[in-house]
Amino acid sequence: MTWKRICEAAEIPENSVKKFEVDGVALVVVNYGEGFRAIPPICPHMEEPLAESGVVARCILTCTKHLWAWDLRTLEMQGETERPLKTYEVKQENGTLLANIEGELTYDFDDAAGDSDDDDFFK
Amino acid sequence: MNTHERDMKVTVQNKNGELTFDCGERESILYAGLRQGINLPFECATGTCGTCRARVTSGDVDVRWKDAPGGARLKPDKGDILMCQARARSDCLLRVPSELVIADTAGPAMRRGIIRGLRPLTNDVMHFDLHLTSPMSFQAGQFVVLEAAGIAGGRAYSMVNFANDVERLALVVKRKPGGRFGDLLFDNLSGEAEVEVFGPLGRAVFRPEEDRNFVCIAGGSGIAGMMSILECATQVDYFRNHKGALFFGVRTLADAFYLEQLSRYAAASHGNLDVTVALSDETIGAKLHAEFPILKLANGMVHEVAAKGMAEWDRNVIAYVAGPPIMVDSTIRSLIVGGIPIKDIRYDKFS
Ligand SMILES: Cc1cc2nc3c(=O)[nH]c(=O)nc-3n(C[C@H](O)[C@H](O)[C@H](O)COP(=O)(O)OP(=O)(O)OC[C@H]3O[C@@H](n4cnc5c(N)ncnc54)[C@H](O)[C@@H]3O)c2cc1C
Ligand code: FES
Ligand code: FES
Repeated sequence: MTWKRICEAAEIPENSVKKFEVDGVALVVVNYGEGFRAIPPICPHMEEPLAESGVVARCILTCTKHLWAWDLRTLEMQGETERPLKTYEVKQENGTLLANIEGELTYDFDDAAGDSDDDDFFK
Repeated sequence: MNTHERDMKVTVQNKNGELTFDCGERESILYAGLRQGINLPFECATGTCGTCRARVTSGDVDVRWKDAPGGARLKPDKGDILMCQARARSDCLLRVPSELVIADTAGPAMRRGIIRGLRPLTNDVMHFDLHLTSPMSFQAGQFVVLEAAGIAGGRAYSMVNFANDVERLALVVKRKPGGRFGDLLFDNLSGEAEVEVFGPLGRAVFRPEEDRNFVCIAGGSGIAGMMSILECATQVDYFRNHKGALFFGVRTLADAFYLEQLSRYAAASHGNLDVTVALSDETIGAKLHAEFPILKLANGMVHEVAAKGMAEWDRNVIAYVAGPPIMVDSTIRSLIVGGIPIKDIRYDKFS
């Protein structure tokens, strides 16, 4: 477990998506009213930056680009969404928001490691 | 299809299986699949959105528009292509990221058409008619892609009219600075021009049998498909027992068009169709249009005017959105915040 401080919870208004960099790892934090989620900063569909393309309402995060959406309580995919969100575990301590960041979470289309696993396109 | 051409076999795979279809030498892989009823993923069909990406795992393809903005995030070294911009040069094996099925309805087809009947509507908007060599049926809200000799690539235009088995499509173009198709219509067209027409395409369609109230939110030329939807609704007297609203965003009143036609739809709607012209760059005190007082006027960005206008509405509506990508994104955002479920939002980005 490597818990790292992201920010004060109060810095992220309800129903907003905010971008952070924690020890070189870019992520976005979403306050969906009933809790917080820390996720990679891009949409798993076509890599749009969620801090701009994401909108949160009624605990659902929707990317306005092509309407992929996830219920942030359960991470359940909504509508025609075809890929799950990846998330960092988060917790609050005395109003500070912490995320468990062991390494950067990426979606396989952005296979930066360059390995030639030819199935990465589908995951 | 020209039968003298050699057909390649294109096989598309995804994790659920694979399908094979024929692809002629002169057609894009996307269009070949679509005309054979395969629901390959796409949105713009013209290289801007990136939705039709695929990975070539074997075979040879020719990428027509190498700098297509929709390809910005692809990995060409891994064989990634936009299917709307690629032609097969041999039999090919491709992977696509979404599920594949064969449609049971008639797919789009390639036709030829002749552009006639140009009619300027504002200083940068031109109405035109496209006379087809064979009739086409489409759903209200759909578009076609036109290819003109001497202009690289296709341009998507939404139908303005509505009827089954039509030989004439009514279309409208908003000129953009340096735009080649806009220039062709505004400057260089003396009389007629022949174009290739692929369609109909698009999922942001109106189907009367859905039996729902609806709202249309259009920015600029995004009004095109909404005219088709309102024409279809008026033909079946849909507003006798449904409510509808149209929010038409333009910069100034001088940029608005089709107002006479819109006032006719409103007048025929039994009071159930509300039309509001939203002016983003001009402040007007009047609440109603002077010449067509059935049309309302409002000041502000169209997505904000629409959000305000819909505040009292039941959330159980279908929302159609079309126009420039930024306008569509802002509108989608305000619809979601306003409580419209994503399954009821249908959009076209005129990128
Ligand atoms: C679904 C949809 C519906 C649309 N409906 C309408 C409508 O009803 N009315 C309207 O005015 N506009 C509409 N548009 C926008 C329209 O398709 C054109 O982008 C716009 O008219 C500008 O065309 P242009 O030739 O004047 O500009 P240009 O800048 O010359 O071209 C713009 C478009 O042409 C294509 N293109 C450009 N260069 C190439 C190339 N080298 N190879 C291949 N393709 C190329 C690209 O799609 C590009 O976005 C729609 C767009 C979409 C996606
Ligand atoms: S990029 Fe987010 S839904 Fe397509
Ligand atoms: S469908 Fe090919 S880029 Fe939009």
